[in-house]
Amino acid sequence: MNALRDRYAIVGIGETEFSRNSGRTTRALGVEAIRNAMRDAGLTPADVDGMLSYHGNDSTDSPTIAGDLGIRLNFYMDCSGGGSSTEALIGLAIGAIEAGMCRTVAVFRAMNGYTQARIGGTGRQAPVYTGGSIPQAIYGMTSAAQSFAPAFMRHMYEHGTTSEQVAHVKVAHSKHASNNPKAFYKERVTVDDVLSSRWITKPLHLLDCCVETDNGTAVIVTSIERARDLKQHPIHIMGVAGRTTKRKGNYHWSYAPISLHAGQYGGPIVFANAGVGPEDIDITGSYDAFTFTTLFQLEAYGFCKVGEGGEYVSSGIIELGGARPNNPSGGHLCEVYSHGMNMVIENVRQLRGLVDDYCPSWQQGEHTYDYSERGCRQVRDPEITMNLGWASPATGSALILRK
Amino acid sequence: MAEYLGVRVHVPENDPTMLAYLQHAGTHRLTLQRCRDCGLLQYPPGTACEHCTCLDFDWAPVSGKGTIYSYEIVTHPIHPAYRDRVPYPIVLVELDEQRAVPAPDYALRVIATLVDAEGRPEHEERVAIGARVEVAFADLGDGLALPLFRLSDEPPEHALWRYPG
Repeated sequence: MNALRDRYAIVGIGETEFSRNSGRTTRALGVEAIRNAMRDAGLTPADVDGMLSYHGNDSTDSPTIAGDLGIRLNFYMDCSGGGSSTEALIGLAIGAIEAGMCRTVAVFRAMNGYTQARIGGTGRQAPVYTGGSIPQAIYGMTSAAQSFAPAFMRHMYEHGTTSEQVAHVKVAHSKHASNNPKAFYKERVTVDDVLSSRWITKPLHLLDCCVETDNGTAVIVTSIERARDLKQHPIHIMGVAGRTTKRKGNYHWSYAPISLHAGQYGGPIVFANAGVGPEDIDITGSYDAFTFTTLFQLEAYGFCKVGEGGEYVSSGIIELGGARPNNPSGGHLCEVYSHGMNMVIENVRQLRGLVDDYCPSWQQGEHTYDYSERGCRQVRDPEITMNLGWASPATGSALILRK
Repeated sequence: MAEYLGVRVHVPENDPTMLAYLQHAGTHRLTLQRCRDCGLLQYPPGTACEHCTCLDFDWAPVSGKGTIYSYEIVTHPIHPAYRDRVPYPIVLVELDEQRAVPAPDYALRVIATLVDAEGRPEHEERVAIGARVEVAFADLGDGLALPLFRLSDEPPEHALWRYPG
């Protein structure tokens, strides 16, 4: 039994427009996202006294953003990290409050992920190979796609997984995004569209890869006692697992199976903390940096057997109207690439019953549950959701929320 | 000045381990760290023995032979050095030494590019999981070399597997 289960809540969510031409600094993006999250929660700057962010030397620090908003901080950390940081920092926010350092924490990510700092680099920087480059980068393996592809190829070899099966992840998420007015890519695509898009690195096509974007995103965490006085129905944090790694997380290829994600270790932690199992989860939010990363995570956390992920993701289960929809917002593949934040924000919206889709009265929680194009994307009465974070095959985080 | 594909290779003096690795490769023998305490090999070069935490190593030549464990064919280059090299295969090679030692799931696996006899990227249709490979070297200058792999004449370790299509 975890004494902190359900003792903390996500009380506010906020984001900026998702674009490929923000024309603004990450400072402005972070400020707007946190301001929106405070207004969503019904909090004033005087109510927020903690901040956590993550960055890859591509963002703005908490004191600057807090200063702009008139927030005086009792606690902040700006951590190095990309994917899988969101869930981990929500866990650390609970720890900071529990330690008595602060009372209410805004967790944010602000990035010009298309116009400034693209993941894997733009190829424009002056290159030098140092010692750290020798085992990998000097061989032309620098981007995320290049770094992850051998693990997926091995999965195909060991389990017979196909490109067609994982293309269904993009297809499902594009259907979801077509019902999300703020999604960057709202057009539905087919399996053939994915398979006929150009190669990035075989076995990955262009449409197997997510959509690099400029954006700011934020969630606000506080204790359940304070949450009860706020504007929104509090979304309870049942359990977290933060950045579990495989053995030799810096060079995981030494240990087989190389296609089994670190969630194999995070799953037992997060499910024990939350007191539930995969069968209790109504919605999954996977880190779909690539189509196949969804498959890896669903296997590692036990939503299907290892090796059967191809069948699972192509069965219709992960679509709206399916048994356990995944990334109803469209995720990283179609909505926005925010390093994990947008899938947490979507699960909060889903649990509130206030998904911002094309239903005319969504703001009153009235949904049609018609999932055809430009329609509804609210799942019917979800009780428990789970987020699956990914930094690489060797590192992941997880977060379980309930109404 | 050492360089590879037109890019400077600068391993600073405070990283003697990685420098020694490239210097040993400069003699055209693939040479790995061997722990002075437990005697096990490891790859890539590190600052402690990943098996027992010992800080002292010898350098041990290995056969340079292995089997392709996985691969990819890069068609969209990111690093400028590779802009004129696409498509190029990146292979994960499982070396013959110390397989399943000290644990059943451990092996010495090396990420590298697969090249042909002239040092150009190997053709995609010749790359397969199960294919046998041997080490090759790209001289960098200053007595350093970078280990690469090329296909060997040995029969495959098991039925070859290629990405379908």
